[in-house]
Amino acid sequence: MLIYRGLSRISRISKKTSFGRRWLPSHPLLSGASHSAAAAAADSSVKDSGNISLSKTREAYSWSLPALHGIRHQIHHQSSSVIEEQLDPFSLVADELSILAKRLRSMVVAEVPKLASAAEYFFKMGVEGKRFRPTVLLLMATALNVRVPEPLHDGVEDALATELRTRQQCIAEITEMIHVASLLHDDVLDDADTRRGIGSLNFVMGNKLAVLAGDFLLSRACVALASLKNTEVVTLLATVVEHLVTGETMQMTTSSDQRCSMDYYMQKTYYKTASLISNSCKAIALLAGQTAEVAILAFDYGKNLGLAYQLIDDVLDFTGTSASLGKGSLSDIQHGIITAPILFAMEEFPQLRTVVEQGFEDSSNVDIALEYLGKSRGIQKTRELAVKHANLAAAAIDCLPENNDEDVRKSRRALLDLTHRVITRNK
Amino acid sequence: MLIYRGLSRISRISKKTSFGRRWLPSHPLLSGASHSAAAAAADSSVKVLGCREAYSWSLPALHGIRHQIHHQSSSVIELDPFSLVADELSILAKRLRSMVVAEVPKLASAAEYFFKMGVEGKRFRPTVLLLMATALNVRVPEPLHDGVEDALATELRTRQQCIAEITEMIHVASLLHDDVLDDADTRRGIGSLNFVMGNKLAVLAGDFLLSRACVALASLKNTEVVTLLATVVEHLVTGETMQMTTSSDQRCSMDYYMQKTYYKTASLISNSCKAIALLAGQTAEVAILAFDYGKNLGLAYQLIDDVLDFTGTSASLGKGSLSDIQHGIITAPILFAMEEFPQLRTVVEQGFEDSSNVDIALEYLGKSRGIQKTRELAVKHANLAAAAIDCLPENNDEDVRKSRRALLDLTHRVITRNK
Repeated sequence: MLIYRGLSRISRISKKTSFGRRWLPSHPLLSGASHSAAAAAADSSVKDSGNISLSKTREAYSWSLPALHGIRHQIHHQSSSVIEEQLDPFSLVADELSILAKRLRSMVVAEVPKLASAAEYFFKMGVEGKRFRPTVLLLMATALNVRVPEPLHDGVEDALATELRTRQQCIAEITEMIHVASLLHDDVLDDADTRRGIGSLNFVMGNKLAVLAGDFLLSRACVALASLKNTEVVTLLATVVEHLVTGETMQMTTSSDQRCSMDYYMQKTYYKTASLISNSCKAIALLAGQTAEVAILAFDYGKNLGLAYQLIDDVLDFTGTSASLGKGSLSDIQHGIITAPILFAMEEFPQLRTVVEQGFEDSSNVDIALEYLGKSRGIQKTRELAVKHANLAAAAIDCLPENNDEDVRKSRRALLDLTHRVITRNK
Repeated sequence: MLIYRGLSRISRISKKTSFGRRWLPSHPLLSGASHSAAAAAADSSVKVLGCREAYSWSLPALHGIRHQIHHQSSSVIELDPFSLVADELSILAKRLRSMVVAEVPKLASAAEYFFKMGVEGKRFRPTVLLLMATALNVRVPEPLHDGVEDALATELRTRQQCIAEITEMIHVASLLHDDVLDDADTRRGIGSLNFVMGNKLAVLAGDFLLSRACVALASLKNTEVVTLLATVVEHLVTGETMQMTTSSDQRCSMDYYMQKTYYKTASLISNSCKAIALLAGQTAEVAILAFDYGKNLGLAYQLIDDVLDFTGTSASLGKGSLSDIQHGIITAPILFAMEEFPQLRTVVEQGFEDSSNVDIALEYLGKSRGIQKTRELAVKHANLAAAAIDCLPENNDEDVRKSRRALLDLTHRVITRNK
């Protein structure tokens, strides 16, 4: 199911000077970072950070303390002679995102007014969400740019480049439509009251219209997909829809054993969260005419980024913006959704499983579970797993074919930066 | 919006001897059947002159007379269209069940729900599509090695069967979602999925079927076909939304109703017929004919459906299930009646939660010619569908001719059915 490429790629990375930001290039621990090094607790003393304990490089991504973020930057600058601006990945693509947003709103115009307002609901100005996925896809598109080696007439080259870019932007739009469609249908399922800070569509307009609006978006996505005239891409994104459904159903209909299984959880998480971004990254690569190998690298980036994102999401649901437990919204556990921290804790404390099986409608069970969680290393292990996936994502970028174009390199740095941000974010 | 090709095509038909079944070939009424001829009430005496009435009445006796007319005008044996494709349909049904197998058991049983043996519905759409596939067969003119020709033919057939499967998946997905919308308890004689398993799973199962349909579509590697069927999904949604969210003026408008009916009922079959033609490598003209057949057949089907909701298996009003009007859905018979009796509109605007309003509406309907006009409109569309078949390029292959006759027969059956 999940392919762990191990540390071999990481050591390969150390040889590439311009991207040696994650690890000190020649540190002995590179060849076999031990778990004990990574075993320091998330909220252990500042002593460690003051030490600049290079052996604990993995923890660099476990902590969200600003001080350590600064130290990490110092490590970056020491290890590389290339002065790289610290770029905000989101600002690199902000203008393009605005264009996409406008186009997206026009793509969901519908004949029937109610359907139009339903479909647009989540594309309104200010409610577009973090726009994380389109950002990744646009950066990936630039990162995979294949320049025409013999410059043709500038006009032709530009036209080809523009057409490709438009098609890749279309993938980003399609991805958003599929994503929002699944939100609309999920909200029907979950009776969610709010989504993105405003009333969920079904709360405001009724389940019926939410289902129809989701279907409408899916059909528009299909039409847009067809217009790309690339059946492999159509298959990729159609499979995504199937995965979203499968993931949601897995979440709804688990047996007791499945709920307590880490493998089942990771599979479900892939379907629900990572499949969309991994397959759309791959589609970006295919449209760019890249080789199958590069397409797989793009896929791996998306997959691992998505998994890392979700694992941190699971942690934040418990910790919120603080490092301690119980300050998060706790919405997963209250809905009976068992996530990675609890699953890890259950490995250490089998008696927690009994509590889990009783369910969490009784809030005292929530408190008991939190207690076990606090005693366990569930949060830390989840962070570590997230870091592992973030690094795999970064490794995929580093394996892309060399390219000296400045825009390409900027975008690749931005993609790497995203692998840090998904880990260090605290909300 | 709707293109009426008029009677010119019908007179063209009369010259084709083998298909001259619908009309007496040289009857004066062909050139300009007047409304008065068709104005005879459904239960009036048997008048052979009233060719159009032949399709308005559902009395068995008249069915027999129609057959006599057929035999007088043609030496071809009457075929049952459904039996022509029954074996193939079984294969499709098996394949369909395997296509909706899912990893997660609950999803699998949800998706399969309507593909189970015995619950497949009338399988009307797949029948039409398989017949259309044969009817549009383009034989390789110079016979190659038999193996090659057969392989090509088989591959094409498989692809066309795939269209039929995709169409069923899209159709069932829309049923699953519509049932969520309508809080329906039963569908096809068994508990609706949402009633049995909950709204959540019904929505997911519908999405699952749609995604499988998309994957199957992609495998055909024909982007025009993908666009056609993706547009169908959009039309289904638009049609359902039109039904849910009408203003008062819209509800009372025949144009709005026909547009909605096209979206909800006819678009699926028209576009999939067109897809069949495209896969067969037919010209754009033939593809449009296939589209027209499907569209008009679908519209005729729905209009008779509307009538049957009032009349049921009898010819008189009020014996039908009346489910449309009780759900506040205003259909063609009522719309026609409103043209004659504007005061009916007031009742319609009040709504039909009060069942006494239903009785009042039925009374107006009975006084009006709403039922008859709806039947006439259905006949008009059925004839347009038949006309499209007759315009297909000539073909002497016996299977092709059989299928085309079967398609014509369907245009009669949609009109004469009484349930």
